[in-house]
Amino acid sequence: MSDAPATFSESWYRVASQRLALRPTVRARRQLFRGERWIVLENPFTNQFFRVRPEIHEFLARLRPDRTVEEVWKECFERFPATAPGQEAVIQILAQLYHSNLLQYPMAVDASDLFRRFEKTRQREIRSRLLNIMFARFPLLDPDRFLVRTLPWVGRLISPVGAFLWFLVVGWALKVAVDHAPALRDQAQSVIAPDNLFLLYAGLILVKTLHEFGHAFFCRHFGGEVHVMGVLLMIFTPVPYMDATSAWGFRERHKRVLVGAAGMIVELFIAALATFVWAGTGTGLVHNLAYNIMVVASVSTLLFNLNPLLRFDGYYILSDLIGIPNLTQRSMQQLRALAERHLFGLRKAKGPALHRSEAIWLSVFGAVSGVYRIFLFAGILLVIADQFLLLGLIMAAICAVVWIATPIFRLASYLGSSQALGRHRPRAIAVTAAIAAVVLAFLQFIPFPSYFRAPGVVQSRRWMELHSRAAGRVVRLLAQPGAAVQTGQPLVQMENPEIQIQLAGARAGLVEVETRIRQALHESPANLKPLESLKGSMIKTIERLEREQAELTVRASQDGLWLVPESEGLIGRWMAKGGIVGALIDTNGFLFQATILQEDGDRLFVKPPAAAEVRLMGEAGRRIRVDGIRVIPGEQRQLPSAALGWRAGGPVPTSARDNEGRQAAEPFFEVNGKVSDPAGAALLHGRAGWIRFDLPNEPLLHRWVRSLRQLLQTRYQV
Amino acid sequence: MTTPTEFYRRTDHRDPAPLPKGVDAWANRWIGAYQRRAGALQRLRSQAAEAEGLWSTLKDETNHRLRVRLQGHRETIRRGGKGTREALLPALATIRETAHRQLGLLAFPEQLMGALALHGGCLAEMATGEGKTLTAGIAAVLMAWNGRPCHVITVNDYLVERDAQWLGPLYRFCGIHAGFVTAPQSPEDRRKAYACDITYATSKEVVADFLRDALKLGHLRQPTRRLVWQLLRPTEEAQDGLVMRGLHTAIIDEADSILIDEAVTPLIISAPHSNDSLKEVVQIAQAIAQPLEVSVHYSVNPRHREIELTPAGNARLDELCAPLPGFWKAPERRTELVRQALVAREFYLPGRQYVVVDDKVVIVDEFTGRQMAQRTWRQGLHQAVEAKEGLKLSDPSETIARISFQRYFRFYHRLAGMTGTAREAAVELWQTYGLPVLTIPPHRPNRRVQHPDLILPTAEARWAAALSEIRSVHARRQPVLIGTRSVAASERLAELLEAEGLSFQLLNAVRHHEEATVISMAGEAGRITIATNMAGRGTDIRLGRGVADLGGLHVIATERHESGRVDRQLFGRNARQGDPGSAQAIVSAEDELLSRNIPAPVLRRVQQAVQHRAPGCQQLASAAMHIAQGLAQRKAETLRRNVARMDTWIEESLSFTGREAG
Repeated sequence: MSDAPATFSESWYRVASQRLALRPTVRARRQLFRGERWIVLENPFTNQFFRVRPEIHEFLARLRPDRTVEEVWKECFERFPATAPGQEAVIQILAQLYHSNLLQYPMAVDASDLFRRFEKTRQREIRSRLLNIMFARFPLLDPDRFLVRTLPWVGRLISPVGAFLWFLVVGWALKVAVDHAPALRDQAQSVIAPDNLFLLYAGLILVKTLHEFGHAFFCRHFGGEVHVMGVLLMIFTPVPYMDATSAWGFRERHKRVLVGAAGMIVELFIAALATFVWAGTGTGLVHNLAYNIMVVASVSTLLFNLNPLLRFDGYYILSDLIGIPNLTQRSMQQLRALAERHLFGLRKAKGPALHRSEAIWLSVFGAVSGVYRIFLFAGILLVIADQFLLLGLIMAAICAVVWIATPIFRLASYLGSSQALGRHRPRAIAVTAAIAAVVLAFLQFIPFPSYFRAPGVVQSRRWMELHSRAAGRVVRLLAQPGAAVQTGQPLVQMENPEIQIQLAGARAGLVEVETRIRQALHESPANLKPLESLKGSMIKTIERLEREQAELTVRASQDGLWLVPESEGLIGRWMAKGGIVGALIDTNGFLFQATILQEDGDRLFVKPPAAAEVRLMGEAGRRIRVDGIRVIPGEQRQLPSAALGWRAGGPVPTSARDNEGRQAAEPFFEVNGKVSDPAGAALLHGRAGWIRFDLPNEPLLHRWVRSLRQLLQTRYQV
Repeated sequence: MTTPTEFYRRTDHRDPAPLPKGVDAWANRWIGAYQRRAGALQRLRSQAAEAEGLWSTLKDETNHRLRVRLQGHRETIRRGGKGTREALLPALATIRETAHRQLGLLAFPEQLMGALALHGGCLAEMATGEGKTLTAGIAAVLMAWNGRPCHVITVNDYLVERDAQWLGPLYRFCGIHAGFVTAPQSPEDRRKAYACDITYATSKEVVADFLRDALKLGHLRQPTRRLVWQLLRPTEEAQDGLVMRGLHTAIIDEADSILIDEAVTPLIISAPHSNDSLKEVVQIAQAIAQPLEVSVHYSVNPRHREIELTPAGNARLDELCAPLPGFWKAPERRTELVRQALVAREFYLPGRQYVVVDDKVVIVDEFTGRQMAQRTWRQGLHQAVEAKEGLKLSDPSETIARISFQRYFRFYHRLAGMTGTAREAAVELWQTYGLPVLTIPPHRPNRRVQHPDLILPTAEARWAAALSEIRSVHARRQPVLIGTRSVAASERLAELLEAEGLSFQLLNAVRHHEEATVISMAGEAGRITIATNMAGRGTDIRLGRGVADLGGLHVIATERHESGRVDRQLFGRNARQGDPGSAQAIVSAEDELLSRNIPAPVLRRVQQAVQHRAPGCQQLASAAMHIAQGLAQRKAETLRRNVARMDTWIEESLSFTGREAG
């Protein structure tokens, strides 16, 4: 039925003699959409809406149980010969009204028909719940009575005074937030930290509940009924929702928009209050909670609720502001019509847009939201597949079916059997196939720059740890850590009272022995010999102790840069014999040692690049060249530096059992390369950074397939 | 006095499930493919063999004992359940013996297989001459024994009467009453016929009777509602006058023709109804369309039978409509009506689509050439044609009730069918009617020699080639049957043959039984018979004495039909039951099949290739024919699916107006 509905219909006899009317409960309201008059029919019992053109409404309004459809139709033709609907249009509209439960008919309908219809509706609901598994709704309560009872108090806030208050509070909070900007920024880094997630979620629930009540109260205030409240499982996160669709029946657009924006109004207000609490409290639970509420109520509101590309408040507000209901659906129809007309050569194809500006709105919105949705869905798919293991895989499969397979199947069946296409089918199929082929070819054959990054540390090519040769307490540093030192240069002074005491004792012993020798010379020369040998041993002890004493001064064993890990804590620390005092680093040659995940490893093994680029943390502006890349073929678990592990705030997950923080959770490959051009960066041994390997250009499809397979392999050992 | 439940059953029928859509349709397709698998045929074969074994013990039974046996089987089957399944093969064997004694025909195992397939609710594909009538008779006995109405449906009144009478002795011996319904019968006769266990009728008659009954019942046509009504008011005499006693079992002969070819248009019961506004509108539209010129104001697309107004045409339309009342101000409406007038002018030609008889437009069936006095085109179009001819406009017939064949036949609880050609439409038959097609092998191997198609560049060359072929075949005294696509073509060929001085039989636009006699003689030596493709269906062509030695009947198709099935039916006219025979298609590259379905640039290439006898041009042209047939069939299939879909849509959407039927 691509042509305009015919004036005379073969099926007219089915309705001509019927005595039908709109149900008495149906309310008709006039609304303006893009400057056009429309009549919105509302069935308050089912909250169903139906939009008709005024000329159709002229016909519907004349339907009465005491007149036949034929009589009314003829009357309409006499009164409005130019605009009265034709027979086919009448049949279509009556069928639609019947399905929307807006029609009253004299005869009891076959009960089995009603059951069938009910069954169909229920199946459709179940199916849509399954299809929308990422956004499943579970209605629970009817909040209407509660709303009506509390409205006298709450309703007062929905007034100019309330608006004034709101602007005051939010404005003031904004000032507070700006004043505390640095603290705000600091705390922002820990929002996603694991121990904060529970608080974040608690804040989310609180805020979203109030958000929904905001919608409900506004809607109720303007006279709409709110009968459903429940839980929405958004990507498995339960959040509350309320059904304020009765607002669609409001005649004034500003009321509809206000109901749509009510949630955000409430949230921003809460965010403002939370800002005051946050600014006024010291670190602690309340402080953190306030901070989280602040973030959820402002950032999430602006990012998600106001975003018209998602089907949240912003979408409905936009659709109301530009006067195009069912924006998504109609924009898809518009895009389809565009494709049919320009790609498939179907000259008769007409989109739902009545005006040029509407057509532009629809096309732009359709294109933008389509692309956005592809990325959003792909993101959600990857996240759930990655996070929820087996369940995630099932969910991802369902979502893949719903979001990928179903549209493809629909497209195929549209191309294969759509009546509208008719004889343009061959061209439509050819064009679609050609587009698909071009896209596939683009992904399959056009190589794109390919690279990946890996964390690592700078290490001196030759370096040595400096051990103390004697035990003792560090008293002072004889050379500045970080300074270049020469062989033999004293670096650290330690003292060991024990050695001193022993030395003093030994020296005193020596004096005693010498005295006794002198006495023996005098009194008993026979004792002389043992005493002489005792003296010898005494001297040896003293020499040893003196040597040890000397060794308390640690000296450089080679030329190089002297580095001490914690120079502050070193002084006063007791150092066991053989303890590490610091390191001597040869400044002439550095290596960059990177840890590479297994999935990236194979790309390097195939053809290791000759050179790579390193950016050190804190000095990201400088690109350090590294060449002579060498992949060490063998899995490792011990990180070259604890700085790379999670425990020390690095990027590599470490095993929880390892206290030192150097045991990686997953095995990795080690790759190292010589730093050939430091580019002025301060190369320090142990400094962490990121290495970027540029690989041969590769088509996107290859890359995606590989990533997918690796994901499956690591997650599910498939 | 009828009991309420008996009355209930009178209007009882199955509630057809909606046609599967989307993934369901795919799944449904696979189920259909499973039902048609080779294993099903194997099972039938072994069952038939078993029945044959049982039959051999019955040969020496007396008629009386045979009757007693039949009665026993009948009782078991009437009881239903497990017993029916066990009694099936013995009963089949007994009926075979009965048919042998009563009709003098012993059913082949293949016919038993066919009967079993019918009993199992399949569509049995059996070649012409394999004895479909007897097969249906045997199955009908089995299926009617349960006491529920059993309809045997075929294509024309002649076959209805012939089959019912020929099988009469068998039915009577089996204790079954058989009746038949033909067009001229009175309601009283019809009621008697439908009251029989087995009723023979054409599809048009059963559907019309069903609709008339439904109209009589009014809002009580819903069986459950009717039953409740009866129970609530037992005293109130139900308005009787119903003709049928419910729908339960149907065996459809020539099923492809009834279920597919004729299913394009729904059956409508209508009454003339004065509609002056329509007539006035059509007249004005005709007046507006008068000054419009082809290719200036509108373009014609003969391939899709469409009219498109050009910008100049639209401008002219604005001008012409300016002085007219408000009705003509709505641009969509006036375009629609003027386009209809132009369609009537461009595509409905006197002598081809219709003739004017007594100041009335009478529709001519393009394929059979019959004048269909009762038929009218759809509302408005018929009047537009009348307006074009300057006739007084007839009252448009107002539809009172309407049902598509697709919907009607799905009302039966048990549906089975037979035909010579069904394979091509197997998927559609399964999806629409739930009939799996089983191809029953012929009793004797087929000995038809199928010559490759001869494709000539022009229609004239084709006639010349056909003529020389006829002459050479006739010279051997071999009988020849020439099939033509339309009446006009058959008349053209007749002229040519007359000019040659050859004597021939021309078959078209005559009554069915005459057709049947003529066609049954077509196998005599030296005969030349010209027939439209559809003429004389259901009648065997037996070979005359000595004709088999001449090579049997030679069939020439002068044009390919839109549907490959119809071609196969024509070729299937010869080589029955292992007789020799030969067939060839002599067609031209100018045929309507090609010009309607192949894009013009491609077609031109093909025509040029054939013209210049380029190497491989015959293969190219026959490939083009194949593709054209495929496209045409797809188009027709879509058309039929839309009829069914539209039907379902109306039923669902307008059920508040009371259901059409059911």
